[in-house]
Amino acid sequence: MSSFKEIATKDSCFRAGSTLCPGCMESVAFQNIGRVTDNGVKTIFTIGTSCAEVSTLAFPNVVAWGRGDESSDDFGKSFSILHNVFESAPTLAEATRDVADALTDCGALDRPVQIISTGGDGGAFAIGLRTLLHTIHRRARVTIVILVNEIFANTGFQYSPATMPYADTSTTPAEGAPGNMNPPLDYIHLAIAAGAGMVAQLSPAHGKMFVKAVERSLEVEGTAVIFVPAPCISGWKFEDGQTVELALLGARSGVFPAFMWERGKGGSVKDCSLEASERPDVVDFLAMQRRFAHLVQRDKVTGEVKPKPGREQDIENLKGWVQSNVERMYSLANLK
Amino acid sequence: MSTIGIEHGPTTHVATPGGERYDILKLERVKQAHIPFYPEQEGVTADGNTAAAIATLQMWRALIYPGFPITPSTKWIETVAAKVGAQKGTKKRVKLLEAEHAVADYMVGAGAACRDLIFSTATSSVGLDHMTETTRSLGASGLGNVMIINVYRATANFPLCIEGDPSDAMAHRDDGFIQICARGKQQIYDTVLQAPCLGMHPEIMTPTMPGYYGIKDSHRNARFIVEADTAVHEFQDRWLQPCHLPGTINGDTAMGNCVTSRHFQGFKINQKRRIERVLDILPQIGADFEKTFGRPGLRFFDETAWPEAGPVDIAVVGMGPDYGTFESVREAWAKKNDVSVSGLALRLLNPFPRDAYREKLQRAKVVLVVNQAHHSGRGHLTLDVADALAGIEPQPRIVSAFAGMGGADVSEATWEAMLDEAKDALTTAPRQPYMVFHEGARL
Repeated sequence: MSSFKEIATKDSCFRAGSTLCPGCMESVAFQNIGRVTDNGVKTIFTIGTSCAEVSTLAFPNVVAWGRGDESSDDFGKSFSILHNVFESAPTLAEATRDVADALTDCGALDRPVQIISTGGDGGAFAIGLRTLLHTIHRRARVTIVILVNEIFANTGFQYSPATMPYADTSTTPAEGAPGNMNPPLDYIHLAIAAGAGMVAQLSPAHGKMFVKAVERSLEVEGTAVIFVPAPCISGWKFEDGQTVELALLGARSGVFPAFMWERGKGGSVKDCSLEASERPDVVDFLAMQRRFAHLVQRDKVTGEVKPKPGREQDIENLKGWVQSNVERMYSLANLK
Repeated sequence: MSTIGIEHGPTTHVATPGGERYDILKLERVKQAHIPFYPEQEGVTADGNTAAAIATLQMWRALIYPGFPITPSTKWIETVAAKVGAQKGTKKRVKLLEAEHAVADYMVGAGAACRDLIFSTATSSVGLDHMTETTRSLGASGLGNVMIINVYRATANFPLCIEGDPSDAMAHRDDGFIQICARGKQQIYDTVLQAPCLGMHPEIMTPTMPGYYGIKDSHRNARFIVEADTAVHEFQDRWLQPCHLPGTINGDTAMGNCVTSRHFQGFKINQKRRIERVLDILPQIGADFEKTFGRPGLRFFDETAWPEAGPVDIAVVGMGPDYGTFESVREAWAKKNDVSVSGLALRLLNPFPRDAYREKLQRAKVVLVVNQAHHSGRGHLTLDVADALAGIEPQPRIVSAFAGMGGADVSEATWEAMLDEAKDALTTAPRQPYMVFHEGARL
């Protein structure tokens, strides 16, 4: 394991010039993953159609990928990225792994490769749930990174199966309606049940934990899955500069607790108490985002956040969901 | 370009139009790892699916066989799995995916990972439909090392039937694959062997879709020659050189990018230009195959009873095994009716070799085109033939027929009924834009 400081000085394969929104957590995640993978091993990314694809892989405009300003003579520094349709990234990664292994088995390739699949929660949990679960089920030796912004951000902020209750999306509008009423898919449990070797829910807001998890994911047997809570500045509608703060608050308040789990070892919930009284109030998390503007309001004088009149019960319901979410995560941590 | 990599340390690389390419793969090791399935040439009696499976197994560049069952159209993946499983020490692997869509996605990942290996699978009907989102990506991808063997079967599941007509192949003509129709087990085997040479040609780089009729060819046995693996390798090695573009493993590259409109337009034009090159390269590969193995190689079509020169009264255009029934009735019917009858059995479906058809068919007074797939108009082949004949004076009359729909046998009586209509067209215009024939009668 490398130290956090050491990793911070590595050469990321995610380069400047992407057109991701300023404040997008995806670019922060890529920057960190890119540094962790600067470890002397050839890196191959696969990517499904998503914000991350259309904003970083734009030819002849900026292709924000590659290690170094020019290709290195050192194969261990080389980098490739492959995009195909929305749901395909895990299968592409699995295929790449298989080809590398088959070539190695023949003696035709004597250098290792590391393979990372990336995509959004829309691609992974809606149109791509099949491919996600089956690649995990086949124990493909790849790391799957899913950037969970709880919406189909790339196509106009529509509901995704990861959308949290009461969120205002373009297909679960909150105007005259409550917003989303479907509880999110239990994707962490699904990944464990499908046979993942490692499952984490971490964002770069937990910097050290995040890079350690990415580094560990490259070593574990079977498929490693990292769900990255990814506050979306355009879809969640928060203020500039609040991305990391929002990601931390969301994790600590219990909306998406930091979680690390390995098969055979079990796991743990990090930085999020089981007791609601010991966690930040989820209302503070809601108040930072205009996608919950129908639920809460901030007093302009006192700064106090309160439920909007008539929404008190909705807030209580939401708090109930958060508590059940935290309890579920603690239960999952006990699985071996 | 060498395939010999160095053992350790920094490796050299070269810039290509697609990125940087590292000389890291030792492909000769893959070839050395191949254990022959047929050390010698051998006569084999088997069905079409087995013939296709044997051909794919014999290729040293084929290391991984992704697949998903499509019952009962083809047991290609089951056959491959059985033969790979039975071969001790083989490095070949069977990859079972969860759906046809996943197979197609897998082929993108695998084909891009190493552009020098061949990745084949087989499917049919709704299986091919399920792949469609990605087959259309593959068609544009430049991954000529991908081959989807298509066992022809109607795509409709409402109602469901297992019989084979080429509706699926026709529905997927715009996927961007090179589509080649084979009839008979020998032609199936030979076509599958040649297809990657065409698809991976540096001027073409387009995936291939060899196909044959479901049930009639896929499930019925016949005797055919299987060449020794070494002979197959020698033939393919003449045509297959290490890809000049990098793959994701041996390259520093990005593939499948999001591009601006201007570049997308250029990309699509390039895609079309590459598939057009098939019309030049395919005859060369076919001729080399014939010279090597003594059997006809890839062609635009098989010819029946064309005189060296001069006109013919009726020219028949068809495809698939039912064309053989025409061949069997042709001579007697022509003699009885005192007309000359020739024929073309389609081999290259996509890109359609328009000029080659034009050159042949302009000698005919009447062209009888037999369509076997559902089409909302006059028939897929009819429209292609009409296009090929456009502007010719005098214009041969086109008799458009639908027969064998739903996989029905095109019986001798049905062929004779169609030929009777073609004969009438020698003197009068066809009575309808198209006619439907079934069980010996015009409906």
